[in-house]
Amino acid sequence: MLARVVHLLPLELKTLLERLPDQMQEQLEEIRIREGRPLEIGFRGQSRFMMADGSLRHTADGAYKPSADTCRKLLERITNYSLYAMEEELRRGFITVSGGHRIGLAGRTILDSGVVRGIRDIGAFNIRVAREVIGASTHLLPKLVDRTRKTLHSTLILAPPQQGKTTLVRDIARSVSYGLWPALETSGWQGRKVGIVDERSEIAACVRGIPTFDVGPRTDVMDACPKAEGMMMLLRSMSPEVLIADEIGRPEDGEAIREASHAGISVVATAHAYDLQDARGRPVLQRLLDEGAFTYIVELKRTVEGIMHRVVSANTIGRAATAREASAAHHRQPVDSAPVSSGRFRADDP
Amino acid sequence: MIKLLGAVLILFAGTMIGFQQAAKFAERPRQLRQLAHALQRLETEIGYGHTPLPEALERTAAATPEPLSALFRKAASGILETESMTFRDSWEQAIKSHWGTTSMRSNEQSVLIRLGSTLGISDKEDQMKHIRLALLQLKAEEDAARDDQGRYEKMWKSLGILIAVLIVILMV
Repeated sequence: MLARVVHLLPLELKTLLERLPDQMQEQLEEIRIREGRPLEIGFRGQSRFMMADGSLRHTADGAYKPSADTCRKLLERITNYSLYAMEEELRRGFITVSGGHRIGLAGRTILDSGVVRGIRDIGAFNIRVAREVIGASTHLLPKLVDRTRKTLHSTLILAPPQQGKTTLVRDIARSVSYGLWPALETSGWQGRKVGIVDERSEIAACVRGIPTFDVGPRTDVMDACPKAEGMMMLLRSMSPEVLIADEIGRPEDGEAIREASHAGISVVATAHAYDLQDARGRPVLQRLLDEGAFTYIVELKRTVEGIMHRVVSANTIGRAATAREASAAHHRQPVDSAPVSSGRFRADDP
Repeated sequence: MIKLLGAVLILFAGTMIGFQQAAKFAERPRQLRQLAHALQRLETEIGYGHTPLPEALERTAAATPEPLSALFRKAASGILETESMTFRDSWEQAIKSHWGTTSMRSNEQSVLIRLGSTLGISDKEDQMKHIRLALLQLKAEEDAARDDQGRYEKMWKSLGILIAVLIVILMV
């Protein structure tokens, strides 16, 4: 994974990080660079400080500290020597570079009548290595197909952050767009037109409007666009058959999803929530679930062996929820009455 | 006969040296003007076009006559080729290595090097301010250069030939 981002790094950081063992380079998830402070790297959900000799420690004592000059070179390289062309990115606080890697920035903000206009004196960088897991949705997809319409059912994917939601929806978009329906009964179905609203440039990782991840040949991406507006724009202009949005949660997102499902479009959306019960605590999600905007709910859990998924059918959870309320059970309990299927896929499947 | 030939050679050489010096005085304001135009172009690319710096420099180079064109091209290719230099270093190197081919002096060189230390690392308004400041300084240099041109260009032209005549008279 290091090899994918190494071109962004100034020479001194590059030589240092290339001293990491091969396996570690492969598992690299984050490189956190803070000016004058210890260099930190993240891999497999853990973090370590990096010493000047390339070894890793838990404590920050004697760690390598990037100089102001190093940070300046890094900033120049990630902005293509043109910070002035990155105003929108600076307002959002991150830059997406080709390959889909996101570089989070922190520093002193510039305010313009109370609104953040950008960041100056950037002193901290977080390089998040993007990984594209082709085939991440292979096990899940057969459970979500709509056999009568030969497309996907509307699906809500729930998981806490860093559990592979984005990776999963990206692969769903790719498979549906190519028409790579994995199950035998669905073979021969054609691909569907897919519209992605990529508010945080994470799904398709567009650079100047062109996706750098393979999201399929029938896919249109509305990049860096607010989800609700983007969904409506795609609905009106690009006639998608499957609409994909990341991290819904605002009331206007709910409106747009309602609009889309009335238009007969399948919506695949993700939301931050620990599980279904957690999601029902959020008014927007609760309303969407009650109205039946989604046919299936998928919960993701990241475990040691890979990412587990659990599919719940939405028309049964309504009943399950009512039953639960009647029994006045306040503690978390599994939705036993719902037909549930689970499976898993490994995050590092080729 | 040989004396005559020598005298002619000395006259010719003296005249040429004079003309060459005069040409330098004539060339400097012209190049300063071209440099100002180039920076204005760069300002437009950065301020209105949001063009990334390497590309903005390439375009500026394409619209600028030699020898200044080479300077911008070198600065653009320098940053794309090296891994260990900041833009500031690459810019400074490009200027210093090409300065000999221009007729400009150290004043405008330091203006350009100062500009290089800010290019690309701040927001649009800031970039435009710095380029305008450099333009103002170059304008002042250009005015001074025009004064010098008026004063010394003719003088050098006649001085060369007169010194040559003096040497010839002393020799015979």
